[in-house]
Amino acid sequence: MKFNAYYEPKTVEECVQILSEQGSDVKMLAGGTDLVIRLRSRALKPKTVVSLNAIPELSEVSLKEDGLYIGAMARLMDVSKSELLTGAWKIVKTGAGNVSSMQVRNIATLGGNSCNASPSADTVPGLVVSGAIANIVGKNGNRSVLLEEFFTGPGKTVLADDEMLVSFKIPKYADKTGAVYKKYSIRGDTDIAIIGVAGKVTLNAQDEVVDVKIALGGVAPTVIRVPKAEALLSGKKLTDQLIEEAAVIASESCTPITDARATKEYRKEMVKVWVRHVLKDAAQEAQKN
Amino acid sequence: MSDCEKTNYIGKSVQRVDVYEKATGKAKYFEDYQVQYRDLLHVKVLRSPHAHAKIVSIDASAAEALPGVATVVKGSDPDIAWADIPYASSYYGNPAKDEVIWAGQAVVAVAAESIEIAEQALELVKVVYEELPYVVDQREAFKADAVSVTSPELGIAAGYGGVQPEGPNVMGSYKLTHGDVEKAFAEADVIVEEEYQAGKKSTSQIECNGSIVEYHEGGGVTIITNGCGVHGVVKNHILTMYPQLSSNKVRVIQPVTGGSFGNRLFPLVEPLAVLMALRTKRTVSYVLTRKEMYTSSPSNWPVYTKLKLGAKKDGTIIAEKLELVEDAGAQIRGYFDGRLSSSGLMCVYNIPNVQCDSYAVRTNTMPCAPYRGLGCAESEWAMENLIDVLAEKLDMDPLEIRLKNILKKGETNPYGEKVTSIGLGRCLEAVADAINIDEPCQQDGGPWKYGKGIAAAGKQNTPLGRAEADCLVHSDGSIELLVSCDEQGMGVQTTLRQMAATEFQIDIEKVKVTRADTAITPYDNFGASSRTTYTTGNAVIIACQDAIDQLKEAAGRKVGLAKKQVTIKNGKAYFVGSNIESIDIADLYEPFSFFTQQTWGLLKGTPVRGRGVFCPAPAVEWFGPGHEDGRTPRMWNWYQYSAFGAEVAVNEETGQIKILKLMSTADTGNPINPKLVEGQIDGGVIMALGFSIMDHHMFQDGKMMNPNMSDYRLPTTLETPLQKNFMRAILPDPLPDGPFNAKGMAESIMIPVGPAIAAAIYQAIGVRPTEMPMTAERVLKLIKDKEASDAK
Ligand SMILES: Cc1cc2nc3c(=O)[nH]c(=O)nc-3n(C[C@H](O)[C@H](O)[C@H](O)COP(=O)(O)OP(=O)(O)OC[C@H]3O[C@@H](n4cnc5c(N)ncnc54)[C@H](O)[C@@H]3O)c2cc1C
Repeated sequence: MKFNAYYEPKTVEECVQILSEQGSDVKMLAGGTDLVIRLRSRALKPKTVVSLNAIPELSEVSLKEDGLYIGAMARLMDVSKSELLTGAWKIVKTGAGNVSSMQVRNIATLGGNSCNASPSADTVPGLVVSGAIANIVGKNGNRSVLLEEFFTGPGKTVLADDEMLVSFKIPKYADKTGAVYKKYSIRGDTDIAIIGVAGKVTLNAQDEVVDVKIALGGVAPTVIRVPKAEALLSGKKLTDQLIEEAAVIASESCTPITDARATKEYRKEMVKVWVRHVLKDAAQEAQKN
Repeated sequence: MSDCEKTNYIGKSVQRVDVYEKATGKAKYFEDYQVQYRDLLHVKVLRSPHAHAKIVSIDASAAEALPGVATVVKGSDPDIAWADIPYASSYYGNPAKDEVIWAGQAVVAVAAESIEIAEQALELVKVVYEELPYVVDQREAFKADAVSVTSPELGIAAGYGGVQPEGPNVMGSYKLTHGDVEKAFAEADVIVEEEYQAGKKSTSQIECNGSIVEYHEGGGVTIITNGCGVHGVVKNHILTMYPQLSSNKVRVIQPVTGGSFGNRLFPLVEPLAVLMALRTKRTVSYVLTRKEMYTSSPSNWPVYTKLKLGAKKDGTIIAEKLELVEDAGAQIRGYFDGRLSSSGLMCVYNIPNVQCDSYAVRTNTMPCAPYRGLGCAESEWAMENLIDVLAEKLDMDPLEIRLKNILKKGETNPYGEKVTSIGLGRCLEAVADAINIDEPCQQDGGPWKYGKGIAAAGKQNTPLGRAEADCLVHSDGSIELLVSCDEQGMGVQTTLRQMAATEFQIDIEKVKVTRADTAITPYDNFGASSRTTYTTGNAVIIACQDAIDQLKEAAGRKVGLAKKQVTIKNGKAYFVGSNIESIDIADLYEPFSFFTQQTWGLLKGTPVRGRGVFCPAPAVEWFGPGHEDGRTPRMWNWYQYSAFGAEVAVNEETGQIKILKLMSTADTGNPINPKLVEGQIDGGVIMALGFSIMDHHMFQDGKMMNPNMSDYRLPTTLETPLQKNFMRAILPDPLPDGPFNAKGMAESIMIPVGPAIAAAIYQAIGVRPTEMPMTAERVLKLIKDKEASDAK
C-alpha cells in the first residue's frame, strides 16, 4: 500500500478542489473498509488518497421539511441505531445493521456502501425503495440524482472524477407504508449477501396497494427494481397467490451470475423465496405505520 | 490423599503450560522474530494463473534490475535442488521449471528489501504460457482416456514407483481381498449400494505458514519456522535438498506455533527461503498470504467412494465391496495409493468378506497432504451413510445395526489385525442417549424441519516414526524434558509434563519442557496421525525411567546400597536397609569445588541425563509376492474411535442447515488430561461441522474461486449450538501399549460428524445427501428433485 500524497480537507469545497486538481489519480477514503483492501491487494494504485474523515458536516443526520438527510460519512453503526429512522424508514436501519460485524459497522459509512457500488451492498436496496436521492457536489456545483440511477455497473457510479457524494435525502413516506429488507447469506450478517431483497408497500383504507417498490441486490450488475412485479401488485389486495406470482416474476427478471457465494440458479430460487417473505412482512408493517 | 495420589497427574486436568503467554500476547510466534534482524529480506512469489500450462518463457530482467531486489529465483536456475524432485513441478514450493500443473503453483520468487518492493518486482516479470488441457474433477481424471495432468513429453507419466498405470493420472492402487465377496453377496438378504463424494478443503489455521532463515558466515543456516517436525521433516528435507549443507550447518527451531492439522507436514516455505539465504548470504523471511494458504499450501485429498454392502435379515453385515479413489491433486511423487482413505472402511465393522479396490489419482488442483483424519472422514462418509440406508431397509434402528456389527476387542479386522482396544460401543450408546434418538423431533409447521442422526467412526494411527526424549534431572532437583515434538496447540507439553511428574512422583511445578530446537532437543519425526501422546509420551516415560535409574544408582552409592533398595519420589531418594531414611535429590550433587570437579559422582550444575527412544512396532509387509490379498497382521498401529449424534434443522425453502444439539464421544484410551481432550473434541467438532455443511474449494476455469476467508466459509460461533446443547464425553478403552494406557485422539472425532448430520437431514426432510459438504444449495437441489419425483 503506497501512494504519493494524502490529504485531509476540512470542508467539502476544499475536497472538491483537490479532486479537480488530481483528476482520475485520486481515491476518496471514507471508512476504508472497501478501499483499503483494494489498496493492499494492489487492485487500486491511486497516486493520491483524500480522506473525508475531517469534514464534520458529512456525518450529519437531520430531519427537514422535505425528508431525512443522512450525511455520506454517517457510520453504519450510527445509522443502524438512529432514532430518527422510524416507521418505513426503519428499512435503512435494517440494511445498515446487516452489514457485517460490529467492528466493520463502526468504521464503514453509508456513503461508502453506495459509492463502492457493489451489487450486493446491504444498504442500497432499502434506500432505493425508499426513493433516496443522492446529493452530489462537484467543481461545477451541486446536483441530485435518484439513487436508483446512481449506479452504472459493478463498482461504477455516475460520479465524475471531480465529484463526491455528500448526503442522501430520503423523502417522507405516506401513511400505511411498510418497508422491509432481508439479507440472505450463509453465515448471517458476517457474510456478504447472496441476495438482498427490499420491498416497500403502501396500502389504502381498503388495504389495496397504492404504491409498491421492490429492489433486489446481488442478482444483476447493479441493484435493480422489478417494475413488472410492481405493476402486477398495484391497485390490488395482496393475496398469497398474487405475492407468489410477483415472486416468480422477480425471479425471472433478474440476471444473476455464479460466483463463490452461489450459483445463478440458486440466486434465482432465493429471490423467489425472499420476495415472498419481504412482501408479506412489508404488508404487515404497513398496517402498523 | 497419599503422596502417591498427590503426584499422580494422570487423568487430571492440569492447566496448560502456555496459557498465560498465549492469552497475554507474550508468546512469540515465528513472525515475532523478524524484528531481531536488521538485514531481513522479504519473499514474494508469482504464481501460475493457469491450471495447466507450458512455460514458454520467463523474462525477469526488469525485476532483477529493480533497486531493492536482492535475488530472483526461477525454476530453471541451476542451484535449485531438483535432486529430490526430478520433475519440473515442485511439491516443495520451489518455482516450476517447464510446466505448471495447478493454478497457484510458484513460478518466480523474489527476495527484496521490503514486501512492497518484492510485490512491485513481481509485476515486472513477464511470463509467456501456452495453456494446456487440464482436469480438476477427480472422476474425470480417473478415466482411462482422461486429459493428462502432466504433459507426457515434459515429465514422468503415470505409473511412478512401479505401479501399473490404469489411466494417465492414476498414481497407485491398494487392493485387499478378504473372504469371498461375490459368494457373500449371493447369500445376502439385503444389498445396498451408493456412490459418495467428499470435497476438497483447507485446514485454514489462523497463522499462515512461514519461516525466517538466518544465514551464518561459513554457510550455515538457522531456520525459525512454524513448519512441522524440526528434525524429521524440516531438517531432513533441507539436508536432502541442499547437499552443501552438512548436518551441523542446519539448525531448526520451532517457536510457539498455530495449528497445522497436517497442512505443514511437508516443508513448503523453508526450501525456497534457504535457497535465497544461501544466495544472498542474508536473513530471509517468507510468509504465505491467506490466498496462498488456499491456493498454494496443501489441502486434504477429496475422496470418491462407491460402496456396496450386503446383510442378512438379522442385520449382520456379511459383504463389503468398495471402489475408492483419493484425489492427490497436482503431485508427481508421493505415497498415495488409496490405502490411507480406505483404512477407514476397514476398522469399524467386523465384516467377514471384503473386496477393496482403492486408487489415488492426480488432478490439476492444489496438491494435497494429510488433513486431520487422513482421508477417513472422506471415506467413512460413505460407510456411515450407507449403513443408515441399510438400517432403514432392514427396519432396524441406527444404533442397533451398528452395535451388532462393530468390531469387538480381540477380534480380527478385515486386514487381519487383532483389535487391542476399542471403546466404540459405549461411545455409540452415549450419543444415542444424549440426543434421545428414539424420540422423534417435534415439527412446528414452519419452513424449518427437524431430525436426528448418529454415526460411528474409527481411525488408524501410523506405525511410522520414532521419538526420542531426554530427561534432565537438574541439581536443584527439578526435571526438564527435552523433546522435539510439535506443539500445534494441542497441549502436548502439558501432558508430557504430567507423565514426567507422575513417573518421578514429584510436584508438577518442578517439571518443565524445552522443545523443538535441533541444536538442543533430540529427534522426533512429526506431529501427525494423533501420534505425539503415544510415541513421544512413551519416549518420555523411558527417558524418565532411565534418569530415575541413574539417580537410584547415585543415591545407592552414597549410602552403600544396591539401586534396587532405592526409591525416588517427592524429590528425594528413599532407602530400604540403611539407617539413613532419605536424601534430597538436590543433595546427591556435590557442590562445586575447584579441586574436586574432575572426580566421579553427580556435580552441582550438571544434570543427570536420562535417554528415551521409542518406535512403534513396525508394520508387517502387505505387498509383493505372497501378499496378493493385501492383508497383514499389522498394517497400522492402534485405532482411535468416536461417535457423534446431532439434532438438526433443515430449511425446506433455502436448504440451510442449523445444528441444534450435538454430542461427541471419543475413545481416547486413558485420557492424560481430560480438559485438553475435551478441547480437542470441541475444536474438532467445529472444524468438522465446517467441512460437513459449508467449507470447500470451488473451481471455475480450473482455478479456485474462493481463496479467501470471506468466500471460504468456515463456521463461526453462530453456526454452533448453544453451550448447553454442545455436549461431549470421553469414554476410554485403555490401550495396553500406550503411555499410562493413553492413545491419541485428535482425528476420529472429525469423522462421524458429517454422516450423523446427513442421517438427521434424512429424518427431517426425506433426502439423503451423498456429497460433502452438504451446502444449502446442494440440499435444496435434493429437496427440489424429491418434490419433482414425488409429483410424478
Ligand atoms: C469484513 C468485511 C465485511 C463486509 N461485509 C459487508 C456486508 O455484509 N454488506 C455490505 O454491504 N458490505 C460489506 N462490506 C463492504 C464495506 O464494509 C461496505 O461497503 C462499507 O459501507 C463501505 O464503506 P466505507 O466507508 O468503508 O467505504 P470506503 O472503503 O472508504 O470507500 C468505498 C469506495 O467509495 C468511495 N467513496 C467513499 N465515500 C465517498 C463519497 N462520499 N463520495 C464519493 N466516493 C466515495 C471510495 O473512494 C471507495 O472507492 C464488508 C467489508 C469488510 C471488510
